[in-house]
Amino acid sequence: MQQATAQSQQFAAGGPGAASFEPQQYLTFVLGGETFAIGILRIKEIIEFAGLTTVPMMPTCIRGVINLRGSVVPVLDLSARFGRKSTEATRRTCIVIVEVEAEGVHQDIGVIVDAVNEVLEIPGTEIEPAPSFGTKLRPDLIRGMGKVGGRFVIILDTDRVLSTEEIVAVGDGGEAGREPLQAAA
Amino acid sequence: MLIEQNMTIYTAAELKPLILAEVRGSESPEFDLAAVSEIDSAGIQLLVLARREARSAGRMLKIVGVSPAVSESLSFISLAAGTHMRREDGAPDRIAAQGNGEART
Amino acid sequence: MNLDAALETYVVESQELLTQMEESLLAFAQGSVDAETINAVFRAAHTIKGSAGLFGLDGIVGFTHTVESVLDQVRDNTIPMSAELATLLLHCRDHMGHLVDAAASGEEIDPERAAEGAQWQGKLGKYLGKEVETATGKIGGEGAVAAFTKSATDYWHISLRFGVDVFRNGMDPLSFIRYLSTIGDIVAVIHYAHDMPPADEMDPESCYLGFEIGLRAATDKATIESAFEFVREDCRVSIVEPSSKVSDYLALIKELPDEEIRLGDILVRCGALTQHELDAAISLQTRPKLLGEILIDQKAVLQPVIQAALDKQKQVKESKGHESRFIRLDAEKLDILINRIGELVIAGAGISLSAKRAGAVELLEAAATLATLVEDVRDSALQLRMVPIGATFNRFQRVVHDVSAELGKDIALSISGADTEMDKTMVDRIGDPLMHLIRNAMDHGIEPTAARVAQGKSAKGTVRLNAYHDAGSIVIEVGDDGGGLKRERIMAKAIERGLVTADQKLSDSEVYDIIFEPGFSTAAQISNLSGRGVGMDVVKRSITDLRGTVEVESSEAAGTTIRIRLPLTLAIIDGFLVGVGKSVFVVPLDMVEECIELTPASREETKGRDFVNLRGKVLPFIQARKLFGIDDVRGRRENILVVRYAGQRAGLVVDELMGEAQTVIKPLGKLFQAVKGIGGSTILGDGRVALILDVPGLLQHVHREAIDGVLKAA
Repeated sequence: MQQATAQSQQFAAGGPGAASFEPQQYLTFVLGGETFAIGILRIKEIIEFAGLTTVPMMPTCIRGVINLRGSVVPVLDLSARFGRKSTEATRRTCIVIVEVEAEGVHQDIGVIVDAVNEVLEIPGTEIEPAPSFGTKLRPDLIRGMGKVGGRFVIILDTDRVLSTEEIVAVGDGGEAGREPLQAAA
Repeated sequence: MLIEQNMTIYTAAELKPLILAEVRGSESPEFDLAAVSEIDSAGIQLLVLARREARSAGRMLKIVGVSPAVSESLSFISLAAGTHMRREDGAPDRIAAQGNGEART
Repeated sequence: MNLDAALETYVVESQELLTQMEESLLAFAQGSVDAETINAVFRAAHTIKGSAGLFGLDGIVGFTHTVESVLDQVRDNTIPMSAELATLLLHCRDHMGHLVDAAASGEEIDPERAAEGAQWQGKLGKYLGKEVETATGKIGGEGAVAAFTKSATDYWHISLRFGVDVFRNGMDPLSFIRYLSTIGDIVAVIHYAHDMPPADEMDPESCYLGFEIGLRAATDKATIESAFEFVREDCRVSIVEPSSKVSDYLALIKELPDEEIRLGDILVRCGALTQHELDAAISLQTRPKLLGEILIDQKAVLQPVIQAALDKQKQVKESKGHESRFIRLDAEKLDILINRIGELVIAGAGISLSAKRAGAVELLEAAATLATLVEDVRDSALQLRMVPIGATFNRFQRVVHDVSAELGKDIALSISGADTEMDKTMVDRIGDPLMHLIRNAMDHGIEPTAARVAQGKSAKGTVRLNAYHDAGSIVIEVGDDGGGLKRERIMAKAIERGLVTADQKLSDSEVYDIIFEPGFSTAAQISNLSGRGVGMDVVKRSITDLRGTVEVESSEAAGTTIRIRLPLTLAIIDGFLVGVGKSVFVVPLDMVEECIELTPASREETKGRDFVNLRGKVLPFIQARKLFGIDDVRGRRENILVVRYAGQRAGLVVDELMGEAQTVIKPLGKLFQAVKGIGGSTILGDGRVALILDVPGLLQHVHREAIDGVLKAA
């Protein structure tokens, strides 16, 4: 009991919404050979990688914009956002459209992933808090570690990962600004 | 009968049967309006109705106690019923609503 | 029940009336007083009070009554209008505004404000007390009920017959009577308007009431009629004027034939007639009339009746005319319409493109027709959003009046270009920046009166507001005839603040631009109004947010002018499409002056420098490819698009010129806010996203780079 409470507190600290423990569905996808997951409720659709318009003078993690049925939606290179190399488009490359909310405003953001895997149900009991190091990612970007078939998938905190404010700030910081995204370890 | 609700358009439908019951069921119907904190034309209309009913049954309607709100509303209205314009004594047919003093028609 | 809707209408109308009052009172304060305007102010106050009475808003009735009483006497020339009184009335107007706001939100007025109101009311009372001790009774804190002089000539009789649905429509007849009781002394007698059905069938939510009211008041018919403005449809009102003859009452009785005897009784009871008069009148009716009597009768009866009928007709006509000319519209609905039209424009472009590809001539023609129509619809839709800026400008009359009083300076506001139209959204958002600029001009721009006189200037300073259209932009100027910006003081402060270094060579306009830097303020003394160092940077930012720019022009002799340039609308622009490599960009068409080819020969001529000779003039240019880091293979041909903005001219080197297209601006969102030179995006006919170049931003960016380059080189 004691332990559970401690755990839930850690979860709560991990990000908003992390406290909901009912079995939730997640979309898993591959990025640079690693498997990640995003809560399905935030995902609006998955489209093929095409028709991208580059916006000049932006940090590498912002690949450009696409026309999503009349709306202009920014597209983020998740790999570059994590401080890794830019995603190279292949036939399996997809754009996952995620809805993010900041200060009450909803915005759609497209996220480039190498390939989309499947939708999984991961019960709350199967989710561990993010380790403080070892994932090569800043811990606050991780909502938790989901156990799937004996392996861990990193469940991302989409609000943090796709935080406009942070991306803009990092973008302004240029190369140096991207550093903190990589884990200290 | 003590009326504790507001006597307004919002409560008129609910009050009407209660008021009629009092007028029809009592030998000397009376209403205590000291606790009525709001009265509008719909409320006043109910009083007119009550009095008409009382009269047609040959009874005298008494209003015992009026709240400041009722007093204010009645202060510039005199309840003259259309059917009996002039009373025997010829005095204005008016509810003298002075504070919480007893007033009768 | 839609009392809320009625109250909302009351609030909106009151606010409009208060705005009118303010304008007129400001005119009085400046010494231009005319009878018509005084009358208008009186009527405004009167209507606000009258309608407030209907809603039982006693606070407003009480306060406004005092205001109205004073205005009434100004109207009668009993109290002279003065600047001092106008200022007091302005304060009262503000207080009325607070009261109306409080009524709208259903809250009690802030006690501090209430105390303020009592103070103004007290001051008004002095005007009344001094001038008219006899005519008007005590008007003080409880001013709601004024004791009018009673005389034989001020007796009014009012017959009210309310409609069955009046309760359901949210009206309370009692409130009308309550209001009448604020005009004078009343005796009201309830009378059935409709025969109340037997108790069991009587619907307690229907109105069966009518009233006969005797009113003793020194007032006029229009005042009484205005009390019933809100129920005109739901209530039959008959008013018999004080000087009426017995025959008029008879006419009233005749109007309601089935109630003849009862009504006669009522009139006697209300005090309108004596029993003797009634009996005499009735007997008069029954015997044959002499010709003369009939004529007198007709004259006496007909005239007021005809007048009332005419008045009523006029009122109906006026209110109808008003309704058909204006529609109140939720701005959001308009936005949705404009967005939809935006989609239509894109879809239309798609059809044209497909038709062109397919080479279907007929389809192409149809698409062209469609495009013209859509363009028309778009223009009309956008026109719906355009409002003249005058209303915003006029708001500042008050600001200038108040602030000059606070500063002890004599300053007038001169307005020109009030008819200039701009997008409603812009109008709403430009108010605050303008407010700051005006305050700033008054505080820092215009010198104290003594200093002006010493310099041989007119003692009265002037702040100018001007608006006009220029090259697809709207320009708003805020000018003053003060001492101008002091270059040395700005430099000294900027150096002190570390914004520039002492050895930097800056042009005048660059120095003036420093005032928009965050944390910059030159006022030696911090005043109540400005000079706290917040503001000018905020002003600049709010204007930049509207895709606008600010520039400063200043001279010691002529004062300072701050010029704001804003786009006409935020929704749709006519664009010129250019290709750079595989990318397509849109340049707002109204900024494009011409296109010239950059031949290999002329490119050779530039020798690596970024300017060309355009008919003998130097034309600096920007290489889009370089600026945007596009590393596709350079096209075989290159072109220069000559763009102009705010007097600056520059070239933009692109590969391909693709022609004009209507483009719907799609905001790029926060993520791209920091990108210089890109103002938004649009969707092309083929579904691709194209970026819209922000020419002013681009020019600024390039300008800055050039300065940096020079600085680095130095």
